[in-house]
Amino acid sequence: MRLKDCHNFQDFRKLAKKKLPSPIFHYIDGAADDEITYSRNTSAFNDVDLVPNVLRGVENVDLSTTIFGKKIDLPFYCSPTALQRLFHYDGERAVGKAAKKFNTMFGVSALATVSVEEISSMIDTPKMFQFYFHKDRGLNDSCLERAKAAKFDVMALTVDTITGGNRERDLRTGFTSPPKLTLASLFSFATKPMWGINYITKGKFELPHLQDYVKEGTSTNTSIGNYFSTMLDQSMNWKDAEKLCAQWNGHFALKGVMSVEDAKKAVDIGCTGIMVSNHGGRQLDGSRSPFDQLAEIVDAVGDKIDVICEGGFQRGTHMLKALSLGAKACAGGRLYLYALAAAGQAGVERALGQYKAELERDMKLMGCTKISDLSRKNLRFRV
Amino acid sequence: MNISDCRNYNDFRKLAKKKLPAPIFHYIDGGADDEVTLKRNTSAFDDCDLIPNILTSVGRPDLSTTIFGRKIDMPIFLSPTAMQRLYHPDGDKASARAAEKFGTFYSMSTMANNSIEEISNISSGPKLFQLYVHKDKSITDDLIDRCKRSGFDGMCLTVDTLVAGNREKDHRTGFTTPPKLTLNSLLSFVLRPSWVLSYLTNKKFELSNVVNKTDKGTNITKSVIDYINEQYDPKMDWKDAEYCVKKWNGPFALKGVMSVEDAKRAIDIGCTAIMVSNHGGRQLDGSRSPFDQIKAISDAVGDKLEIILDGGVRRGTHVLKALAAGAKACSFGKMFLFSLSAGGQQGVEHLLKMMHDEINRNMILMGCKNLSELNNSKLIYRN
Repeated sequence: MRLKDCHNFQDFRKLAKKKLPSPIFHYIDGAADDEITYSRNTSAFNDVDLVPNVLRGVENVDLSTTIFGKKIDLPFYCSPTALQRLFHYDGERAVGKAAKKFNTMFGVSALATVSVEEISSMIDTPKMFQFYFHKDRGLNDSCLERAKAAKFDVMALTVDTITGGNRERDLRTGFTSPPKLTLASLFSFATKPMWGINYITKGKFELPHLQDYVKEGTSTNTSIGNYFSTMLDQSMNWKDAEKLCAQWNGHFALKGVMSVEDAKKAVDIGCTGIMVSNHGGRQLDGSRSPFDQLAEIVDAVGDKIDVICEGGFQRGTHMLKALSLGAKACAGGRLYLYALAAAGQAGVERALGQYKAELERDMKLMGCTKISDLSRKNLRFRV
Repeated sequence: MNISDCRNYNDFRKLAKKKLPAPIFHYIDGGADDEVTLKRNTSAFDDCDLIPNILTSVGRPDLSTTIFGRKIDMPIFLSPTAMQRLYHPDGDKASARAAEKFGTFYSMSTMANNSIEEISNISSGPKLFQLYVHKDKSITDDLIDRCKRSGFDGMCLTVDTLVAGNREKDHRTGFTTPPKLTLNSLLSFVLRPSWVLSYLTNKKFELSNVVNKTDKGTNITKSVIDYINEQYDPKMDWKDAEYCVKKWNGPFALKGVMSVEDAKRAIDIGCTAIMVSNHGGRQLDGSRSPFDQIKAISDAVGDKLEIILDGGVRRGTHVLKALAAGAKACSFGKMFLFSLSAGGQQGVEHLLKMMHDEINRNMILMGCKNLSELNNSKLIYRN
């Protein structure tokens, strides 16, 4: 199986599985507990049907939308995800360049493996920095200042990882970052020699946003769950978020809002957007899927801030459904991570290109030529 | 396994799979994207139950109805489908003769391998022509004129195919028309020597109705997807449809209407019928199934238009449910194409006989003497 055989999300997933040592594949592929929320994030889309309109003359489709004051060419973007150089040696460099090519937002994680400065020198298209609230306030200030200096457009504060989710696959595979060889994982690393060679020869693995402050930013092996639980400040509250929002003094979003009440509070503290997200089902299993919750949140705050639906997207039609409900844009991590693992920048470009082609085709089949043509009139819920 | 062993849809499908090279089988069998809509088209019938009435002295129920100005002996007919010569050397001739024998409509696709004139010479049964609006308007005019001269009863304009759906099975099998041998598909052709023999020894493959108008109608190898995207006019709008209605000046349907709003507009432009259809789940995946939508459409326009349910029908009881929910008749493509592939004219006749018997038996079990007794009171929806 090669890149040209990848026609959809599942194909990229298969190819990624072939290329990655199993602890790393399962770190991407896994989620919390029994992964009920993880599956629901996608299956939720199947409980609602699209109702097209015909004969509307749909030769040219405009997929652009504006979020956080920036016009992007696609109504979806790459969510910030950690540790991308573990998945492909180009890591964030590959994803950033692909996002630039399609002129969409590129999310960079605080746990990125390439620095904000390097990314900013590489791409001039819209960029989002995703921030974790650490106990070390010096680290927090440094992240904000560096992102500001690097001209990032949006700051997103993640609010759903106050403690690490129970990612059982990682417990079984012994996933740590940087990867540690255990007897159990040795075999899977040994059977993927290309990954190992690239990992060792393509530059040292580091977490540039953290390394001056914490030893976990260096080469000490730690699990992500452990990192969240020990390094992040569990006392974080609305006051802290409000302060950060004021300190950033620009487009600011909360990532991981699920209740209407919290969405309203986000407006009150000065946020310009929220990501309705359960962290890809990786934190609280049994929690509601973003798509199931989207309508309520849009009804409450959709006219005041940008509501982004994040998680579960595998198809253009999934995005059409979220946009019809009122999401301003869609976002996803696995959406491009399997493609990154499968083939680096070329993989991500192929994946983004496929979603774009799907959206264009599906918009035409819906009888719509621009994103604002989509509305709840296009949808029927089964129950 | 042969035709006499076929007792239901799955049997015909199995036999067709044995007879056809894999790319051709999957062209019939596949749907768009994840085939969610393809599956829902049939499973929708299971969310609703039939309630019989007893002791009604049924006798022999009358299964006849009238559509497109012709009385037909049972409320089902063959949907227009492209390129029937790929499935059996007799192609459209086999299906037209079988339909005539059972007193119901045969439908011809713009992309048929037999010409309008050829079919009207061999069948005096009810005939429907399915029109695509090409970028070259003279093709459209020519087709309408020829159908008129050849005594076709009805015309339907397909409105859900402005762009080809994402049929991933075709990407994988490399389906093109005429069939092209690729390394991938070679084996499946070699394993079906009788298909290859009859394909090569019978009349040359061509799109007979457009053969003089476009070089794509000749034997240049094209995927259907490319044909649709190059030849059909994505600018098609209500004016174009109205032009066709006026020019035809007879019973006229839009095929692929799914919204109530569009159904109402169909009346305004002078249509006498609509085919509620999502193109057998081959276009917009995630779109609503015809059966899920039929009641809303029938409630709105059922007294002004003939409503045909197209897609998902596999059983006589499905037909009964569709009629009870407001359809005037049902049509199907996949099911008869499998029977055509399995046994030519004899195969289609076997299928029509089987469906006739199922409808007849189930009418008796429902206690209904004629189709007009099927109404909403005979159905209970599960939720």
